[in-house]
Amino acid sequence: MAIETEFAELRPPADITRATAARRKGPSLYLIAIYGILVIAAFIALVPFLYVISTSFKDTISLFQYPPEWIPSEPTLDNFRGLLADYPFVRWMLNSFVVASAVTIVKVVIDSMAGYAFAKMTFPGKDALFLVVLMTLMVPFAATLIPLFIIVRDLNLTNTYAGLILPALASPIGIFMMRQFIETLPTDLENAARLDGCSEFQIFRRVILPLIRPGLVVLGVFTFMTQWTSYLWPLVIGTKTEMFTLTVGVQSLRSLFTVNWGILSAGAVLSMLPLVLVFLFLQRYFIAGSIAGALKE
Amino acid sequence: MHDGALPAGSAPPGTVIRMATLLIEQSTAEAAPIPHMRLSRQEHERLRRARGRQRALTAYLFLLPNAVFFTAFLIIPIIFLFYLTFHNGGIITPAKFVGLDNWRRAWSDDLVRTTIRNTVYYCLLAIPSVFVIGMILALCLQRIPRGSGPFRSLFYLPTLTPYVTAALIWLFIVQRDFGALNVTLGLFGIPPQNWLGSTSLVMPSIAMLEVWRGVGFWTLLFLAALLALPPELYQAATIDGASAWQQFRHITLPLMRPTFFFAVVMATIWNLQLFDSVSILTDGGPSNASATVVWYIYKAMFQFNDKTGFAAALSFVLLLFILVLTLIEIRLLRKPA
Repeated sequence: MAIETEFAELRPPADITRATAARRKGPSLYLIAIYGILVIAAFIALVPFLYVISTSFKDTISLFQYPPEWIPSEPTLDNFRGLLADYPFVRWMLNSFVVASAVTIVKVVIDSMAGYAFAKMTFPGKDALFLVVLMTLMVPFAATLIPLFIIVRDLNLTNTYAGLILPALASPIGIFMMRQFIETLPTDLENAARLDGCSEFQIFRRVILPLIRPGLVVLGVFTFMTQWTSYLWPLVIGTKTEMFTLTVGVQSLRSLFTVNWGILSAGAVLSMLPLVLVFLFLQRYFIAGSIAGALKE
Repeated sequence: MHDGALPAGSAPPGTVIRMATLLIEQSTAEAAPIPHMRLSRQEHERLRRARGRQRALTAYLFLLPNAVFFTAFLIIPIIFLFYLTFHNGGIITPAKFVGLDNWRRAWSDDLVRTTIRNTVYYCLLAIPSVFVIGMILALCLQRIPRGSGPFRSLFYLPTLTPYVTAALIWLFIVQRDFGALNVTLGLFGIPPQNWLGSTSLVMPSIAMLEVWRGVGFWTLLFLAALLALPPELYQAATIDGASAWQQFRHITLPLMRPTFFFAVVMATIWNLQLFDSVSILTDGGPSNASATVVWYIYKAMFQFNDKTGFAAALSFVLLLFILVLTLIEIRLLRKPA
């Protein structure tokens, strides 16, 4: 709901574009310059990807050609074959997928619950607890790395999915986001449900959750993305090769041997692919996820 | 007329009015609260409180799962971290109390100072560049009549890349012999640079990576904020003859203040934790020129010989540093000067 309105806003207001067009007549120099800047920026954003994609299809000889070829003259799948044959790459991807999905599902459920409590309920200590949530936004994860590592190790959870998943559940940003979303809902709806005899939990299940579905997707996408790209925690907690997540695994392609650029680029391409595919389908939610909260500050 | 409607010889009109009043009073009395809903003040108060308690209980139940995870994996670790700063060992050997030893070592350690300096230097390079470029691109996107969607997606693509992958891609770009950056510079006659191997270029190279990866995120954030600004103000300013620059300076910038506030706070918290790209690109080198605070924490904990207490002290420094800096930023930026 909130998201759709935000996205309506993401289109430039007609006034501004009209004003721009009115100020200069026709396809002006001004617009050409602006498009020029944008095209250059898009080019810079894209080139590194194209470079690494092109490298992943190169054989060992054309890899070091000077000047480098942009489109390999003899494209080969050897790098991908080597990667999948010599490394547990599929396992790494699966690990990342399991961890990211588990964190996402749990976070979406418990953060929307907490968000509902903070947005719509009154209880003693509410402000103090919310202040704690806000304060934890400022705690850098890296600072708790060492105590977390010791705790998780003493629980015998190193090299387990639980060890990878559990610490990621203590993140405040989702609570904050969900509170913002739920606050925008009119209180009348809950009151109507309450008069119809719904319990608080039923109101949450039947009234609130369906209404904030876009917000849930935003939080889900955001959480999944954060977990998929997470590196430091998986690096310290997964020491066995088969418990590496994708980021740790891809990184190990480099440090295990002397750099094999072909294999490395194939790993880089494959590690980006899932998120890019998800992005193509859920684009608006990705972007909304990154701006959620900020706008309503 | 009314008189005519009354039966002859009945009571005088005054009585009728009185009877009517009585009837009305009776009927309202009948519609008054049903006996069981008539509560005494005390009963009312008691029920209200019971309902309040029940609601509070529900609220706490809704908060419970998060409270458990926060306690176990955030609050206890922070307290534990503080405890660890006064102890040594713990990874291989059991921890033993060493007083302020770790703090003293952290204070006098040269590398700690270097890492703090490097991290702050990196933030000063990366954050302003990424904000300025992001703002310029957002302003451009706001002004084009069509094609904004594809550009937005393209700009966002690098943000989707895991840091690790982005850093690996960067290895290709800045590679000395066949990297795209040196090849491009070569076209302009600039000799190839050793981007990651020179003490003066290494931090700018890493900051460049951050700009490349992060700029799309900030562009979209700023764009969303720009598009939410009220167009009336600009129309009024145009009528008053304000130039584009004046409008930007006196309307856009002040109104964007909350967004900038959020952006600065978040960007400092994130960037002060620089680790991923350093660990992949340079591992702190050459000669510690790219050693950052988190890199040092990681090294001290996992790669040097069991310096848990020292690493904990360093973590605590990072925690306090970020906390204090954030509070200062909140003070400075929250309210217009």
